[in-house]
Parts: sequence; structure tokens; C-alpha cells
Amino acid sequence: MAELTTTKLNAESHLLLDQPLLRMPYELSRKNFKTAQRYVEREREFVLTALKTTANAAMSSPNSSDPLGSLDSMISRMQGLKRKLEGLHEEEKAIHKHSRTRIQHLQDLYDIPSLADVKYDEWSRIRLNRLLVDYLLRSGYGDSAMALAKEKGIEELVDVDAFVACHKIEASLRAHRTQECLVWCADNKQALKKLNNNLEFELRLQQYIELVRSGNAQKLTEATMHARKYLAPHQDTNFAIRAAGLLAFPPETQAEPYKSLYAPERWDSLSSLFIKTHNELFSLPSRPLLHIALSAGLSALKTPSCHSQYASSSSNASSSTTTVCPICSTELNELARNVPYAHHTKSYVENDPVVLPNGRIYGRERLMQINEKIGTPPGKIRDPTGMAQLYDESQIKKVFIS
Amino acid sequence: MDALKHEVEQLQKRDNLEKSIDDVQKTIDLLMNARKALSTDPKSTSMTLAKLQTPVKQSFDKVNDDLKKIHSGLNKYSKALDKKFKDKPLPTAENDALSSHPSLINRAIAMHLLREGQFSVASTFIEEANARPPHPEPTPGTPNPYIQDKGWEKDLANGTLNSEKLQKQFADMYHILRQLREQRNLGPAIAWAREWRENLETRGSNLEFELCRLQFVCLFVGHDGEGNMGDPIGGPLRAWAYARSEFGPFQHRYAREVQQLVGAMAFWENIPDSPYRRFFYNDSAWEEVANSFTREFCSLLGLSADSPLYIATTAGAIALPTLLKLQNIMKEKRTEWTTQNELPVEIPLPPSYHFHSIFVCPVSKEQGTDQNPPMMMPCGHVIAQESLDKLSKGARFKCPYCPGESHPRDAKKVFL
Repeated sequence: MAELTTTKLNAESHLLLDQPLLRMPYELSRKNFKTAQRYVEREREFVLTALKTTANAAMSSPNSSDPLGSLDSMISRMQGLKRKLEGLHEEEKAIHKHSRTRIQHLQDLYDIPSLADVKYDEWSRIRLNRLLVDYLLRSGYGDSAMALAKEKGIEELVDVDAFVACHKIEASLRAHRTQECLVWCADNKQALKKLNNNLEFELRLQQYIELVRSGNAQKLTEATMHARKYLAPHQDTNFAIRAAGLLAFPPETQAEPYKSLYAPERWDSLSSLFIKTHNELFSLPSRPLLHIALSAGLSALKTPSCHSQYASSSSNASSSTTTVCPICSTELNELARNVPYAHHTKSYVENDPVVLPNGRIYGRERLMQINEKIGTPPGKIRDPTGMAQLYDESQIKKVFIS
Repeated sequence: MDALKHEVEQLQKRDNLEKSIDDVQKTIDLLMNARKALSTDPKSTSMTLAKLQTPVKQSFDKVNDDLKKIHSGLNKYSKALDKKFKDKPLPTAENDALSSHPSLINRAIAMHLLREGQFSVASTFIEEANARPPHPEPTPGTPNPYIQDKGWEKDLANGTLNSEKLQKQFADMYHILRQLREQRNLGPAIAWAREWRENLETRGSNLEFELCRLQFVCLFVGHDGEGNMGDPIGGPLRAWAYARSEFGPFQHRYAREVQQLVGAMAFWENIPDSPYRRFFYNDSAWEEVANSFTREFCSLLGLSADSPLYIATTAGAIALPTLLKLQNIMKEKRTEWTTQNELPVEIPLPPSYHFHSIFVCPVSKEQGTDQNPPMMMPCGHVIAQESLDKLSKGARFKCPYCPGESHPRDAKKVFL
């Protein structure tokens, strides 16, 4: 009974980690659609007005107008639009295909009866690879992410391109360039407005700061113009006032808030603001999913024995009858030091536990088995963890653990 | 899930840019035709242009209609997504103790990639991680954000975690495993087991003998040891020769098994009908040997046989629904949960995820720890140290589980 309940796979609640898997392509396709809409809107505006003026011109002054030429330009604009839409259509198809594959991948989970099933093992390994790629991408290790996705054949389940683009922009901000990020802001203007996001203002402010920093008169006028154009429309008037105040302070000032406005660290906070905005826009969690899964898993598996100064009898590396616990294994041991350990309400011990004179407890069957394997003389027992001491079989004692 | 599938299929089939492109093409055609009319008959210019206004506008409206359909298709899909994930919020990372140790995570990933045999990915990763070491982000609630987080990149250099060495070791392991599984060649595995004989023996592993026994069986049924089939009659003879030359060291410890193998010689003509059948026709033997080889190999490196990263993330995915429920309840009741070093709920994991024995004191219901270890009274019952102290108050006391009386100094610390 207990076994049945613990190995039952509830696919519905198991999908907690997988929401971004479908959200990301959805957001991408929406963005794709918005771009298409913008293109169409722009050409419509152009062609309709051009048509009207051409017609009017043809009516009023038939000799001076060049209707053929303006028609040609309209046609070529429309052909440009068609090419652009075709490009977007290709992208759209790819995105939908990804969505489809991902839904199928999640659907697979519903067909797996139990956590003990081999198929679950496979599925979970794919998930681990997905989480790893996600983690690698977020950490900016794009090449590794791509290589892993390729080797595992899960390219359709991960969003390498989107993250790589995101990291290019982040890197450009860290290299003190605002251009790339402003382009991105323009691309996502509507969505950013909906989120009530300040990223663009912050970028404009940074441009302004850089202009002021240079200190020469021409740049300062440019800065004032810049501020009037971009900073003044901000709803919070303090924003522009603070910017104006900056003009009165030299870059080496100690006075706040101007000191921190001039600080080079502002670029770092800009880049983290960008990452935050990017993740929000694509409904991605702020922390890598691997962190979330791993910290839950570390806690669920951790026992007080994992960081105990005494070797555990039931799982250690020194005997071949036990498997090394994953938390005790080198990879995770240090990482798990700070997480809480799992809660248990019942003891969980091997069958028929016996205790050796040195206080070590083993399941009787396993103790006998291993002693047979290491070739202990009959009637004697060796402690599989210590090995040195040889005990009489009569010295082992039954122990009651409830 | 089906609803989602349906919506995506709709998007793929119907609500996409294909139609818009067609309509754009139609607009182009309109313009083209007008152009043709103009060039053939310049006199009608103003007429043609005037006539063109409405169709072009309509054509654009059509394009917009097509776009609207896509929009509504996307909206439907979005609604289906919302419905699907309504009760599944993204897990918040409130108790994310990991962000402050990014280099430890990187180390775990590097080791995971190596042990999975993905050497090229691993080396790309190590290179990238070295070029751009991660920035630890201290998180609130983490007791000691990296005390001696000196960076695994440095560990790599000074040998505590030598990735090249580790990679070489795992490359060896995969070479041996491939030989075992695909070529049915025991040679490399036996050579490895010989090299590590002493360590294996103290671990109580009989891997070497198992490998040699399998080799004997192979020879006996007619493989020539390199994975090819030899002639059937020479087999038992070759096996006999092999036993004479190799089984010497096993005589003492595995006397019985060796006798069994040699005893089978007598039945060499009809093993399948003999009592020795099970030694010779055991299909799972190869897989078993390969598995126990992997286990021993990893254990000798101090690592668990399956990737800890895999086990931990899987366990995490299993645990998340429970933890989420807990989080919700705690938020609702506005309670904070007090014992910081233990999770407040029990998380049901499948039996294969239990590694250590667990001791829970039957009196206090607390788990045994280094500070509060399990103590065994002379009657054989075990309770936690603190419970013992409380019950006994330093004098003779009765065991809470049986009539036995004892003095606390007779109780003995036990290790599970």
C-alpha cells in the first residue's frame, strides 16, 4: 500500500516546472504576430496615402505627375512586405512546431503509470537535460547549452536562440553600450508599456549621464536636449529633476544621489534590470528552474546522516552492498550543507536489524551476505564499515527500532 | 492537454500568416494590373487610379481580418494555457539556498556531464565557466553564504577535482563498459579489476571473480574471448585451460563456486539439461556484471552510481507539489515554520530514493542527529539521547517499551 502511494505519478501536479516550456514559444509567436501586424499597418498607411495623393495629382495636374513611378514604388514596398511576412511565417511555423513537440513531450508524462516505470526514468532524464540547458543559457554559457541540446537531440524543447539574443544584449550593456538594448525596447514597446516598465527611461538616463560625464559644453547642450526629449515625459517628475540636478555636480562628487548615478556599477544594475524585464516579458521564472528543482530535491533526500561526522552504516562508499547516497556524493555534498533535511515521522531501517559491539546497526541478512563475500571465517563477523575488528557471531545482538 | 494540442493544431492549420501573405499578393496583383492599364492606356490614368482606391483599401482590410483571426487563435491558445496552469504557479524561489553557490552548481554539472560520458560538452562547459566565472548572489535566509567557496575552477587546477583526470577515468569506464556491453569483451574489465583487486576485496566486492567466471562460461560455450565464436568442441578445453591458469587466486575464497564450474565439465556435452544450466545460460549476466562494474568504479571514486544531479532533480520534481501546498497553507495561516534545519512536511518518495536508514525517536518523534544520537538501552530498544536524559534524570529508569530497567550510563550510542 505504502509503495503504491509513493510511486503513484500524478502527471497533472507534476507539471509545476514545465510551464515556461510552453509559455516561451507562445510569447515568441505573439511577438512574431505583433511584428507582422506592425509591418502591415505601416505599409497600409503608406500605400493608401500614396494612392490617394497620386490619384489627386493625376486629376489636378495630369502632366507633371508620374503615376507609373509612384505605383512602382508602392509595388516594391508591397513586395518587401510580402517577403517580410514570408520570413515571419517561416518563423511562425517553426515556433508552432516547437509548441507541438513540447505538448507531446508533456503528454507523454500522462501515459506513464508510475514513478518506478522505466519510461519515467527516460522522461525525467530529458527533463534534467532541459533544466540543464536552461541553467546554462541563463548563466550565459551558450556554447555549452547548444552542444548539450544538440547531443541530446532536444533542440525543439529548449529556447537557445532567445536566450543567446538576450545575453548578447546583456553583454553589450556590461560593455557600456545602450544601443542594442534600446532597439530591443523599441521592438517590445507595447508589451513594456503594459508591464509599466522603466527600462527604457533608465537607459535614456544612462545616455544622459554619459553625456554629462564628458563635461564639455557641446555635450552638455546635447544632454539637455536629450533630457527634454526622453526624460521629461516620465510620469514621475523627480526623475527629470534629478537628471537636471546632475548638471551641477562633477563626476567625482561625493553627494548622493548623484554619486551613485555616476557610478560605473549603474551599468551592472541596468543589465540585471534588463534580464529581469526580459524574463518577465517571456513569463520566465526569475531563478533557473534547476535551482528550484534541485533545492527541493536536496531537502527531500537529505538526512542528518549526510553531513554527520560518523560514517553511516546503511549507505557509504566503503562497502559494495550499499549504494552511495547522492547527497553524500562529492557532487552535491557541499551544496546540500545549507538546505534543511527531510522530515520523517517513522524510522526506516533494514529488516531484522542487529547491532555489533561497536554500536553499528545492520540488517542481519546484509551483514551475513557481505561477510560471506569478504570471506570471514565461519562463526566470526566483520564490521563492513570498519573491517579491522573481528567479532564473534555470538556478540551480535538484536536491536529494536520502532 | 488535449485542449492545448487542439489550439496549436488550429494555429498550425488555420490561424497563421499564410492567408495574409496571399492577400498581400492579391493587393500586389491589383497594383500590377493598374500599372499595366496605365502603361497601355495613359489617358485613363486618373480614372484607373480613382477606381483603384476602394479595392486596395478592401484588400488591406482583408489582410487585417486575416491578422485578426491569428490574434483570436493566439488568444484562445493563451486561454488554454492559462487554464492548464491556473493552479500551477511558478514555484517561487523563496528558500533558494543555491544562488549563493553557483560555482558548486557548476562543479556538480561538470561532474554530471563527465560521468554521463558527454566529454565534449563537458570540456566546452569547463572552458566557458572558466572564462566567465559566475557571480554568487547571496540570498536571504541562507546561513553562511559561501565560506570557503574558493571556486571549483581552482580545485580543477590543484587536483582536488582534476577534471582531466576525472574525464580520463570516466573515459576508461565508458571504454570498458562498451567493450562489455557491445563487444562482449571481458578483457579490459578484468584488467581493471586486477589493478584494483585490494580495494575491491576490502569493499567485499567479488567483481573480479564474477568477471572471470563469466569469461570461463564464455570460453566454455565457445566464444574465444575476443567476442567471436570459435568451434564448439574446443570450448570446454579452452575453458579448462583458462580455469587452470586464472582461478588459482580464487581457490581459497570461492572454493565452492570454482568447484561448481569445474564440475560442469563433466556435463560438457549437454549443459542445457544439466543442473549447471543456470550458470551457463544466464542472459542477464552481462547486464548484471556491467552494472556492478559501474557501481564499483564510481564508489572507488567516492561517487554514487547514478548521477546525483539526476536523482536530486527528479526527487525535487516529485517533492515540489507537496512543498507548494505547504507554502500555500503557511501563507494562508500566516504561520512561520520554526525548525530551520528540517522540512516541515514529510515528502513521499519512492523506495528507490531511500538511501540512509532513518531513526525517529519513538518518544520525542525527532530524528537522530549527531547532537541527539540514537541510544540503545540494554534491553535492545533505542531512543534518542535527549529522550533518554529526560526520562531517566540521571537515575535508573524503566524502558518506555518493555519492563526492562537500566541506568542511563549503560545505554550505548548506535550508528545506523
